[in-house]
Amino acid sequence: MNRMDRSLLELREMDTLAAGDSPVHRLHALAKLLTTVAYIIVTVSFGKYQLDGLLIMVLWPALLFSLSGIPVGTCFRKLRFVLPLVMAVGLFNPFFDRAPLLTVGGLTVSGGVVSMITLMLKGLFCLAASFLLMATTSIDDLCAALRRLHLPSILVTLLLLTYRYVGVMTEELSVMTDAYHLRAPGQRGIRFAAWGSFLGQLLLRSMDRAEELYGSMQLRGFSGNFAYAEDRRFTGRDALWLILWTAAFVLCRLYNIPGLLGRLLTGGIR
Amino acid sequence: MIRLENVSVYYTKDAPVLRNVSFTVEKGEAVGLIGANGAGKTTLMRALLGLLPHEGLITVDGTEVTPKTLPEIRRKMGFVLQNSDNQMFMPTVYEDMIFGPMNYGASREEADARVDAVLARLDLADLKHRHNHKLSGGEKRMAAIATVLAMEPEVLLMDEPTSALDPRNRRLIIRTIRELPETKLITSHDLDMIWDTCDRVIVLGRGSVAADGPAQEILQDRALLEANRLELPLRLAGPDGA
Amino acid sequence: MHMADALLAPAVAATMYVASGTVAGVSIHQLKKDNEPQKLPTMAVAAALVFAGQMINYTIPGTGSSGHMCGGMLLSALLGPQAGFLSMIVILTVQCLFFADGGLMALGANIWNMAFYGCFVGYYLIWRPIMHSRWFGGETRKAERLRIIAASVIGCIVTLQLGAFSVVLETTLSGITELPFGAFVALMQPIHLAIGLVEGLVTAAVLVFVFESRPALLMDVDPATGPGTQRSLQTTLVILAAVVVLVGGGLSLLASSHPDGLEWALFGNEEAGYSKNMGLDEENFGVKSGVADTASSIQEATSFLPDYAFPDSDSPVGTTVSGLVGSAIVAGLAVLICMAGGFFRRRKKQQQPA
Repeated sequence: MNRMDRSLLELREMDTLAAGDSPVHRLHALAKLLTTVAYIIVTVSFGKYQLDGLLIMVLWPALLFSLSGIPVGTCFRKLRFVLPLVMAVGLFNPFFDRAPLLTVGGLTVSGGVVSMITLMLKGLFCLAASFLLMATTSIDDLCAALRRLHLPSILVTLLLLTYRYVGVMTEELSVMTDAYHLRAPGQRGIRFAAWGSFLGQLLLRSMDRAEELYGSMQLRGFSGNFAYAEDRRFTGRDALWLILWTAAFVLCRLYNIPGLLGRLLTGGIR
Repeated sequence: MIRLENVSVYYTKDAPVLRNVSFTVEKGEAVGLIGANGAGKTTLMRALLGLLPHEGLITVDGTEVTPKTLPEIRRKMGFVLQNSDNQMFMPTVYEDMIFGPMNYGASREEADARVDAVLARLDLADLKHRHNHKLSGGEKRMAAIATVLAMEPEVLLMDEPTSALDPRNRRLIIRTIRELPETKLITSHDLDMIWDTCDRVIVLGRGSVAADGPAQEILQDRALLEANRLELPLRLAGPDGA
Repeated sequence: MHMADALLAPAVAATMYVASGTVAGVSIHQLKKDNEPQKLPTMAVAAALVFAGQMINYTIPGTGSSGHMCGGMLLSALLGPQAGFLSMIVILTVQCLFFADGGLMALGANIWNMAFYGCFVGYYLIWRPIMHSRWFGGETRKAERLRIIAASVIGCIVTLQLGAFSVVLETTLSGITELPFGAFVALMQPIHLAIGLVEGLVTAAVLVFVFESRPALLMDVDPATGPGTQRSLQTTLVILAAVVVLVGGGLSLLASSHPDGLEWALFGNEEAGYSKNMGLDEENFGVKSGVADTASSIQEATSFLPDYAFPDSDSPVGTTVSGLVGSAIVAGLAVLICMAGGFFRRRKKQQQPA
């Protein structure tokens, strides 16, 4: 299996997940999109040492995973290439910021370590939130939501068309790559002599394809505007979801809830 | 319904792909357009639809094909492409099907009604909300036919409707084509399919009409077919072409 | 070079969204004015092609490692900068949404770093001037070919340098990394120099192929240029490749054996050992036992405390215990939610048949 096959599988997997049914799937895409954006902004806005305040944010993805039935494992499998990058940036912090910040038992923890963990958690939370959005929302619904936000129609149309052809082109390149490697065993990539023609051939064919595609659009009366499937109504339930969660995120940002909870309990002991 | 008089099409200045092609297709007729690779079948179809510039006269239902009349012409013609992926550019079957009607000014309710009617007619109701890239080859071809029928065309042009289909799906497409009452112009190398679906056959050889007559007569004329780099339909020729 | 959400502060991300959005708006306006509806399917198919094409590995002669092509330059040479920019936006959006490459909030920054420089700087400052220049002699086909190669290579190097620099700038402005600005720049730029060279050559090879087969597809190329000889292309590419191998040398070997330069900049050095690169002692891994070194760092500590903000706590050390307890409660809640959700769904399923 080559890299393109894997991408195709991932694409299909997201499609399958998004085609599922759960209370989260049934929400309007616009509500989900805006809630996710609010979540990401709030999560990212936590200060670099606000580790304890940030922790509360884990509850939202946990709730979504639980409500939607999306397997947590799929999410981590998908993020295995992306997460290391975020982690790596944080790895520098302990070396540059060595001021002691906390003591846990006999251990002194430096600011760098706290900020590293904070950064890693932020990365994890944001990626999980985006993943959950796409795993519960189909591309058509998302594009309908984007149109509602008054994104220029040319961009939305382009996104829809491109999404459709990403699958077609990736499949074609995958077959070409396999055909190449069947006749060139032991090569890791495309040889220098074929650099231009390998993709170039496909590019020329694609331009013909685009022309035929345009023809088929013209035949069906295309004159620059696209007709879309009807958008589902934005109900009170969707609005409630959006408002309640955004408010909850803001509250979590303003008040250090884990800290308060902890103090409440330990205070009782003291 | 369709009339061609001395139609020529040029890609480069000196070598015409079609030379002085003339024929007429009557309303309700099913005509097969056959010829070897490079004989100009697809070019002819594209010229008919105004996708290629041509010389000579082409009329559809009495209206001449010119850049000005294209919207009117195209409203009457449905073209089923050989590659369904190029035909269906929207993510789902449903969106693809309403694309044409809505562009021609149908209301949402009207478009929806047409979609449901066409899907019921082709027995494809379960495909409605499927993603185009998840359809199998046979489903994709049927859905492509559905997107064209949703425009309620008077003439159907089909380019290789049975290519790359398994026997069962091929049979399904043949049955579907036979049941469509529209005027049909079908190109194919699948001469058995032409035999089953067309009353009349036009043979194109090197850019011009080499023969035009009743389907069964032409498809049994081995000398004529071989002169135009074709062979008898398999059902007549047997496995070794003898 | 895809940045993740966590690497950006909301203010920086918003600024980049505004910047990219403005450019997108201007591009859309321009495209609407041009009114070429046939461009839309071409843009979609070209975008899909670039998306898939970026997954191909090209072996770099003599190194055994591999490189990729550069989408921005290729698309603007084929479609023009405005259409190329929109196509890149769509590619980055698909990567962000379906492959978790980059993040929803960082999309604006990613568009700027990869699409804006590649399409607008690459086209207006490099591709068009070079294609209209008289470099490598007059209007012969051979000169045209050399200009395509030069424009692709220079374009990819310059736009990648700009993009890499922007990544550093955005991350530093966001206050995410403790890595000093200078050190970060010194890490990112040379790596992307090597990557830019390789990407430039791959892009050049593809564009030259298009030029040989269908010159009308390229922007700013006169299709009527007289015929040339096939061999000179090969020779040129071989010479250029040799230069790349020499100049990029070890760098390209290191860089392109890793999937992404940004990743390498951070990981590669971790593997090589911080002590050598950063002048740091590896023994001190931040978590120290006892108070041996605390005295010397008390001053550092106090200087850091002001911007440290647990909103309602008296001293950071004091919150440790309660913080831990609070965190434990949150973790417990999370587990509970997961279990409850499963229960809720199961019940739902049982109810459905009834």
